[in-house]
Amino acid sequence: MKKTILLLAALALMTGCQSRVASLHFYTWADYIAPELVQQFEKENNCRVIIDTFDSNESMYAKLKAGATGYDLINPSSYMAKIMFDQDMLLPLDKSKLPNVANIDPEYLHIAVDKEMSYSVPYMITYTGIGYLADKVSDVVPSWKMLDREDLSGRMTLLNDMRETIGAALKYLGYSLNTVNDDELAAAKAVVIGWKKNMAKFENEQYKIGLASGEFLLVHGYSGDILKVQEENENVEFMIPEEGFSLACDDLVIPRSAKEVDLALKFINFLHTPEVAAENTEYITYLCPNTASYDLLSDDIKNDPGVFPEPAIRSKGEVIMDLGEDNQKYIQLWDEIKAAGN
Amino acid sequence: MKRSRLPLIITGLVLLFFYLPIMVLVVNSFNASAFSGHWEGFSLRWYIKLMNQRDIMMALENTLIIAASATLVSCVLGSTAAFALHYYKSALQHWHFTLIYTPLVIPEILMGMSLLLTFVAVGMKLGLFTIFLAHVTFCISYVAMIVLARLQDFDFSVLEAARDLGANWWVTTWRILTPMLAPGIASGALLALTLSIDDFVISFFVAGPGSTTLPIRIYSMIKFGSPALLNALSTILLVITFILVWLSQHLLIKKEEEK
Repeated sequence: MKKTILLLAALALMTGCQSRVASLHFYTWADYIAPELVQQFEKENNCRVIIDTFDSNESMYAKLKAGATGYDLINPSSYMAKIMFDQDMLLPLDKSKLPNVANIDPEYLHIAVDKEMSYSVPYMITYTGIGYLADKVSDVVPSWKMLDREDLSGRMTLLNDMRETIGAALKYLGYSLNTVNDDELAAAKAVVIGWKKNMAKFENEQYKIGLASGEFLLVHGYSGDILKVQEENENVEFMIPEEGFSLACDDLVIPRSAKEVDLALKFINFLHTPEVAAENTEYITYLCPNTASYDLLSDDIKNDPGVFPEPAIRSKGEVIMDLGEDNQKYIQLWDEIKAAGN
Repeated sequence: MKRSRLPLIITGLVLLFFYLPIMVLVVNSFNASAFSGHWEGFSLRWYIKLMNQRDIMMALENTLIIAASATLVSCVLGSTAAFALHYYKSALQHWHFTLIYTPLVIPEILMGMSLLLTFVAVGMKLGLFTIFLAHVTFCISYVAMIVLARLQDFDFSVLEAARDLGANWWVTTWRILTPMLAPGIASGALLALTLSIDDFVISFFVAGPGSTTLPIRIYSMIKFGSPALLNALSTILLVITFILVWLSQHLLIKKEEEK
């Protein structure tokens, strides 16, 4: 009996290592691609797509840096893609094999970290804005000044993320959220401390549940999260402040250790086929920045400012850049904000 | 003398703290609402959705393959190590004990990182096999410690008597030693099994492409996926655990009765 189990286990271990058709190893976040699309790609290219998941950019980076190999395509956020590129961990992309990148939204590329797409191709964009309960919050204006509303005091949350929250204040004041100007930063600090008086807390995760249950009336949060809450509670609305907002993107990159480079390039190209990009946007409810796909989106999505903001508003988005040494300024400011009494 | 009710109350509260969160989770797994903010009616939609997720099912399969094989191997190695530690009292065994004991106190992150560096250094392909090796590494220690405890009150004269009566090494080991140690080995195996199913930190580092285990998948889902799916998944795991525990206890009781 024991021998049979051992044999089975050994067999199972071995079969895990070999398969006859080519397989593409995609290292990404959980639930971050429509499953039907994976099957479609597998069928079209007679291959297998094996998806492995990580839970943060940092842990993925630590693992790869230590020498883990075997992944053909990775999906880090833009800032991490830049770090990986700077450390020579990524392959430059052969654009001749990516005809569909011509579909990528030039407006987004204009503000992207890797504008030339020399090592990364954008996959999905999210925005940071304000989610609120439409039945409980009156007189909503699309502006960060909603965070000043004293009638909502104690029922609002701000993100517990220094770049996002200080960035919101900077945008409110009309500055760049990547500024290193001391005066601008000092002004932003005063604004955040003013907001803090009305906040229940700084919160990155639980605000979703709080908003769904009505504990919080207005939250500073990520569009993807708030749209998920919206499926649950139809009173939830997402709004992008007209002063400007932060925009984040996850990119597709190919590590130097990739074995199936051609297949990875094919997959990137496939994901930017207009129909595929549209289907993926509908599934994830983040926006795939693919201009040709915009016309194919359903009206539901197209009219949803959380996924598809008006072009005029979209142009006010800004990507958070790594500031290197100057990051210290933000850390210090954040400490002062956290320490400020109410 | 009137007995104090305090111990009863404290026990009750402790048990409540143990099991209330689990009960909330189980109840919520049947909640139609995705954010468990409020009850929206009984529904099996999360279970149905779960069954349709190829990735999750693959992760579950990986986890079970690794847990079963790692438990089996660590049981054999751990039990023999425990026997050696107890039977031979030499200086070498003193070192052996220290080395077996160390993985219990080494921080997991250190173990994960060092295993990864080792595998990379010797050019081993990361995958199910490396996770299996890593799990055996820490499971051996737990099994050995538990079997060692069982050996403390082991009567070795039984073994000597068996040999006097003409039993050879194989018969003594298989017919006398193993059955007498069985409860210890079984509880060691259960612990190894749960630890292996549970492990995230070490597995994350040594996992390779195509070998995502359930805990790795779950951590990633906390960030991006649906919390309701997690509830359903956890409930299924819970049911499996309870069945295993019940089965092992049932087997042990039966053994005792046979005596």
